[in-house]
Amino acid sequence: MDGIDMQGVGSSPHRLEIMEKVTGSAEYIADLSRPNMLHAAITQSTVAHAKILGYDISDAMAVPGVVCVLTGEDFPDGRMGAFIKDEHAIAKDKIRYFGEPVAVVAAETEAIAREAAKRVIVKYEELPAILSPEEGLAEGAAIIHEDLDSYIKVFPAISSGNMASYTELNEGDLEAGFAEADLVVEGTYDTAPQAHLAIEPCGALADIDKQGRVTLWSANQSVFRVQANVCESLMMPMGKLRCLTPRVGGGFGNKMEPHIQPLVVRMTQATKRPVKMILNREEDFECVRARHPFKVRCKTGVKKDGTITAREVEVLLDCGAFGDDSPGVLGYSLLMSLGPYRIPNSKASGKLVYTNKLRFGAFRGFGNPQVAFAGETQLDQIAEKLGMDPLDLRQKNLIQPGDVWFGGGQVASNGLQECVDKARAASDWDNRKSRTAPKGKRRGTGVALSAHISGLLGTGAIIRVFEDGSVALNTGAVDIGQGSDTVLSQMCAEALKIPLEKVSLASPDTDGSPYNWGTTASRVTYTTGRAVVGAAAEVEKQLKEHAAQMLECSEMDLELRPGGIVGVSGSDKEVSFHQISLRAHWAAGGPIVGHHTWVFNQPTIDPKRAVCSGIPFPQVGVFSFGCLIVDTLTDEASGKTEVAEAWSAVDVGKAINPSSVEGQIVGGFVQGMGFALTEEMVWDGPKLANPTLLDYKVPTTLDTPYNIHSIIVEAAEPDGPFGAKGAGEIGLVAVPAAIANAIADAIGGHVHSLPMKPEKVLNKMLEIEDAT
Amino acid sequence: MSQPVTLTVNGKTSDVSCGATTTLLTVLRDTLALTGSKRGCNQGVCGACTVLVDGAPMRSCLTLAANIEGQNITTIEGLPEGGDLKPIQQAIIDSDAVQCGFCTSGMILTAHEFLQRNSNPSIDEIRTALSGNICRCSGYRKIVDAVALAASRGGA
Amino acid sequence: MLTSMTKTDFQKPKTVEEAVTLLKEAGDDARPISGGATLVALMNARLVQPSRLVSLSAIDELTQCTYQSDGSVRIGAMRRHRQTAFESNLKAAHQVVSGAASQIANPPVRNMGTIGGSISFADPAADYPPSLVAANAEIEIAGPEGRRRIPAEEFFLGWYETALEPGEIVTAVILPPVSESSVGQYEKLCRIAGDFALASVAVTIDFNASNTVTSLRLAVGGCGGGPIRVEAAEQALIGTKLELDAVVDAAELVVAELDPIDDVRGSAEYRLKVVPRLLQRAFNNLVETREPAQ
Repeated sequence: MDGIDMQGVGSSPHRLEIMEKVTGSAEYIADLSRPNMLHAAITQSTVAHAKILGYDISDAMAVPGVVCVLTGEDFPDGRMGAFIKDEHAIAKDKIRYFGEPVAVVAAETEAIAREAAKRVIVKYEELPAILSPEEGLAEGAAIIHEDLDSYIKVFPAISSGNMASYTELNEGDLEAGFAEADLVVEGTYDTAPQAHLAIEPCGALADIDKQGRVTLWSANQSVFRVQANVCESLMMPMGKLRCLTPRVGGGFGNKMEPHIQPLVVRMTQATKRPVKMILNREEDFECVRARHPFKVRCKTGVKKDGTITAREVEVLLDCGAFGDDSPGVLGYSLLMSLGPYRIPNSKASGKLVYTNKLRFGAFRGFGNPQVAFAGETQLDQIAEKLGMDPLDLRQKNLIQPGDVWFGGGQVASNGLQECVDKARAASDWDNRKSRTAPKGKRRGTGVALSAHISGLLGTGAIIRVFEDGSVALNTGAVDIGQGSDTVLSQMCAEALKIPLEKVSLASPDTDGSPYNWGTTASRVTYTTGRAVVGAAAEVEKQLKEHAAQMLECSEMDLELRPGGIVGVSGSDKEVSFHQISLRAHWAAGGPIVGHHTWVFNQPTIDPKRAVCSGIPFPQVGVFSFGCLIVDTLTDEASGKTEVAEAWSAVDVGKAINPSSVEGQIVGGFVQGMGFALTEEMVWDGPKLANPTLLDYKVPTTLDTPYNIHSIIVEAAEPDGPFGAKGAGEIGLVAVPAAIANAIADAIGGHVHSLPMKPEKVLNKMLEIEDAT
Repeated sequence: MSQPVTLTVNGKTSDVSCGATTTLLTVLRDTLALTGSKRGCNQGVCGACTVLVDGAPMRSCLTLAANIEGQNITTIEGLPEGGDLKPIQQAIIDSDAVQCGFCTSGMILTAHEFLQRNSNPSIDEIRTALSGNICRCSGYRKIVDAVALAASRGGA
Repeated sequence: MLTSMTKTDFQKPKTVEEAVTLLKEAGDDARPISGGATLVALMNARLVQPSRLVSLSAIDELTQCTYQSDGSVRIGAMRRHRQTAFESNLKAAHQVVSGAASQIANPPVRNMGTIGGSISFADPAADYPPSLVAANAEIEIAGPEGRRRIPAEEFFLGWYETALEPGEIVTAVILPPVSESSVGQYEKLCRIAGDFALASVAVTIDFNASNTVTSLRLAVGGCGGGPIRVEAAEQALIGTKLELDAVVDAAELVVAELDPIDDVRGSAEYRLKVVPRLLQRAFNNLVETREPAQ
């Protein structure tokens, strides 16, 4: 097999599922159906905060073709939630946000179900709506979760009233740090809610067998989280629910925790028929989840030479109506709020406050882009005051190899310096002022650095060797479009030295796959990859045990040879996987199965170093780094900004599939660019004002520069699979900050608020003109 | 109120029974089981439902089935000729221009029609041509490259 | 399927007269359908449920664009935006209309949407209304009483309202003759390519041999219920050479007439700030693109 491309680690083979995606035959949730299937639709609440007094479903039931109407009264009292178990499957007793599902209708067609859903009448007693965290914290505010104290929480939550969670991290001596500083800069920064806008809306399909066991397909990022959430909210034994996945049309965090899966499962239980529900775009906007709006107060102290002595960060997060992943987002944003810098004296604290809005939750970056926007903007403001080059200021304070993270967590690999050097060179940063702008535009260049983790929680992999010597890989990790099926298969092929085509990948199935917490936290390549490597090592061991007996030699003398062969070192004696597997299946030892499971286990906090409270995850992840430089053009007439070019250097440990890594870097950049410049969910009172693609705008090809340069840096993570760490989120984290700094370079002042839409930029330009 | 409508889809003519307000997208997906056209927004913005009507790209979610009787409709399922992928499909594969794939059908049909009109496009012309098809995964770069690659190979 | 519960019938007449009769028969809930880009989106959102749809697709007359002997251009109501954007008959000041057409939505939607459908819906942030007012266009309307023509300015009544009476349809847009020395410019500000205008400015100007403005029309979109034409500003610019001071003064007159609201695209305050700046740029661009020809 020498000389044959095995398409292993470091190559970019075509995606495993590419043929079905270019021919339209890939099946997503909306494309599935079952015989005798019902279609379901939701009734959404028309108030933000209310007690439910009762229902009248008679009009809905009277529509011909309607089979079943379920309301909160028909659901068990189970509560689900990733961090705080505060959420029923459907509104029950209370409404907590406008658009919340209050009833589910199943009918013979989708049109009938939707028509009938409009006819469900809910009697409410309205309560005052809390529409901002400040209102939620105010004295005498209406309480959104009266039973918060008694809810199950999976971390040492500090909560009271409408405050779902409070988290704090302290290191060093903050007061002394500021006292030491020659310059202290303080500012507040805010960010808008962003919609994930996976082009595929959420949906689910459930069927029930005669034993009452339910099978559930859904748009998701983890079949195991779907299973856990449905079973918790419907109080079902986990063995009574099997979760599967079709192809998934993008996630970005939106499909990590539940959407309508519990509703569909309950409906199939009630009707004993298959039930399918696909949200329309408006419903998907209104009742799934979105990126948290942040208010950040950031204060940084520096010496004249640019050495940072202290930073204090305080954040206020709108949680929305339910906890979802919010406590994690709060804790993680604080953990990342110093950026990739040595800051000896620091305090980061924040409050997460329930409001009567759609739940906010996980979204690519997980709170990090918001604090990076604050911190990295502030660094540029400091550089201006000190008369330093912004990149030189950062360089002076870079976290160095061997340094630990804020809180004391280990950082085993650190390619940040190489990211900085490569982005600086590629963008010709030092000559940036020589670049000119077309007439009517102002050109700016900005930089921002970032770090992000990959890791968290439990993962496994099983590799089985078929009789013909090829292998089946089963990890339970859902490929949501980022390409993990291909990447994991490449790692399996590499570890066993077999061609990629000899690896078949099992689709995630809670019945047969090993546990995988989910496709989130930039974790699949790193955590699941480690499990694959571990399982492959187990398979190798078993193969060698057989081979040693077959070749009458010691296992120690055996080696894997390319192409599925075990040979004796320094000899031409060898047996193929095929021969070994036949023996294992039919003669001795039993079929070869290797497995490996593990849970991420490096502590987030070193208690000797940091004093912390309300930390949502004791073990978080390994660190990736990035340096992003952008070149922007701001229109003098309108303030509208476009990105002209970008250079994104990202340390991914090892690019298992370089083309997929580029896809993550560029895709993350553009999603971050939308967050930076245009995207904004707007509420008109309690109601979302722009839940359509006509009103909520994401970048098109014309709004996106062609020249987004991906620069891959590989600082191997010692325990990463082949040195790899995650690439999914890091490319987005610095984007708003780098664009903000470029705009400031262009117009001479900083906008402290996302999105930096034309209005805010023009106002800043006019403010500067007026002042001069 | 259902009425029979005669539609020619991918060269095959069939009578479908549908309401006056039934969109082509609904007929394709629910009646003809051609699910390669996707419903992303149902308002003509995302482009995932784009099909060719008499060779021109149209939003099937904004096209009433009853209004295009007698016209030739091409969906992603009907694009390959004699089982062979079109150059743009191969270029999409070779450029690794697919992530989740939900926008891909609409993107391919839009690009295919564009390349038939413009066999030697500039990058900016490609960007303009694709500006009605939203991709949330890729950042567009590899898709634009794929269209350029197909053009450089001389095909649509 | 989403709206199949409602009983709608579908008609595809061959002539304008037939279409008008079919609409009249069915009463208020009947709707003509041209490209469908707007109406079907509204039906999908369940905002409109017509009792009868009268397709205008099979009426040949509506699909033509003709350059008439008097120098005017007649654009049939069913002309697609893509056709109008590339229309070779539109020259000089008429390019304010092709310029607007080329900026509507995106290529596939431009392929579907029609000028008649667009102006009948009269979205105040749409691109045609200000451009047609600036072009001094007339709208030809057919109804039970026959045909009539009214100036574009009188057609757009504000906030999705037009001068169309029940049973009437737009049959054509007629652009008056223009001199070769005239120019037209459509300047649009939007959040993202293909979005409706946050604000837009349409101007047509003619000059004499010494570059003095002899006639000028301007209209603003996205800043009120319909296109806003400001005659005082036009008068203030006629006789000038579009010097910066004159433009700035005229822009102030324009701002005084705007009536914007806050919406998801932008605030009223911003629109008031940005329109004069867009106007300046539009005039600048016009002067600059003209000068090399002189």
